[in-house]
Amino acid sequence: MSQELPVLKKGIYYIIKDSKTDLIMEDKTKRGLTVKEKSIDEKLNVEAEKGMIHDMDGIGHWVPIRWFFPKNQYDIEKVLVLAEAMEKKYKEIRELTCPDD
Amino acid sequence: MSYAQPEVLVDTDWVSQNPSNDNRKIVEVDYDPENGYKKGHINGASLIWWKRDINDPITRDIINKKQFEELMQKNGIKSNTEVILYGDFNNWFAAFVFWVFKYYGHENLKIMNGGRKKWELENKEYTTDEPNIPSTQYVSGPPDEGLRAYLYDVRRALDRNDTVMVDVRSPKEFTGEITAPPEYPMEHAQRGGHIPGANNIPWATAVNDADGTFKTVEELKQNYQPKGVTPDKDVICYCRIGERSSHSWFVLKYLLGYPKVRNYDGSWTEWGNMIGNPVEK
Repeated sequence: MSQELPVLKKGIYYIIKDSKTDLIMEDKTKRGLTVKEKSIDEKLNVEAEKGMIHDMDGIGHWVPIRWFFPKNQYDIEKVLVLAEAMEKKYKEIRELTCPDD
Repeated sequence: MSYAQPEVLVDTDWVSQNPSNDNRKIVEVDYDPENGYKKGHINGASLIWWKRDINDPITRDIINKKQFEELMQKNGIKSNTEVILYGDFNNWFAAFVFWVFKYYGHENLKIMNGGRKKWELENKEYTTDEPNIPSTQYVSGPPDEGLRAYLYDVRRALDRNDTVMVDVRSPKEFTGEITAPPEYPMEHAQRGGHIPGANNIPWATAVNDADGTFKTVEELKQNYQPKGVTPDKDVICYCRIGERSSHSWFVLKYLLGYPKVRNYDGSWTEWGNMIGNPVEK
């Protein structure tokens, strides 16, 4: 559903879409992951669609795929701060694992 | 018509009425024990964790004979103990452990049809109490290499028309569209596709979607034989890490009674990473 919504802002690792009631921030690194539940993400304290990723040991970890920020509480600037923080985190990981130089 | 070896299966009702005792051990086999066994398991069941207990901690390989014997001792299993396996992920890893038990010659072995999925659908009881299991003595047989295919067996099979390869992964993995689903980011390979000449018969086509139990003999025959996977062939099953393929190995060997079926546990994470291996898309 959210795929057809207008895109407000894009980063390398995030995309922010505009729905009638929410600003939807998607984590692009979780693309293709099956949504298994929608519940409150305790870190950002908004509803999020979540999937499960299994680590090297097979243990499953719940991860947010997209967050739903209610428009009556969040504007694009607020969401952008969170999106850029996520972008920074992933860029740092990339720099650690695949440095450019 | 019944399965070729119906004694290798028990149903959930049977397990609920026949608990673990000195001569029978119920063992849960999990890929993800945090979200499986530790949240609740069948009363008296011990845990075999695929990653910790079945794999060598350093080398990519299944446990050796000595490690297998220690695992049996820890789980209170003697050479004549009846062992009932069940687990998460549609019994994939229970089937893998069944294969390993057979590899080391344990005879009295069964799978609970439907695994955790069916047990939970029936709202049967779980406990979080872990059983206190006295250690046993166990001496296993030598490994039965007739059950296992290695990279060189598969390479050799490429030119043989008496050997048939069964790729039990999803169609998207088979065509190379993906190398692993997003849920398993640690299980990718450098190349996508399949071993040349392999038939794509996903593991899930052998089970009833509703409760994870195995399909009937007639349905299973219809699943494999029209694709040339017949009892007169040497059959090699593979998937990504060898667990879904052991599920299909179990179906072909024990439910349909094919005489020569091997599991290639190196599977796509070996084949698709090796330099120079031929790949078909």
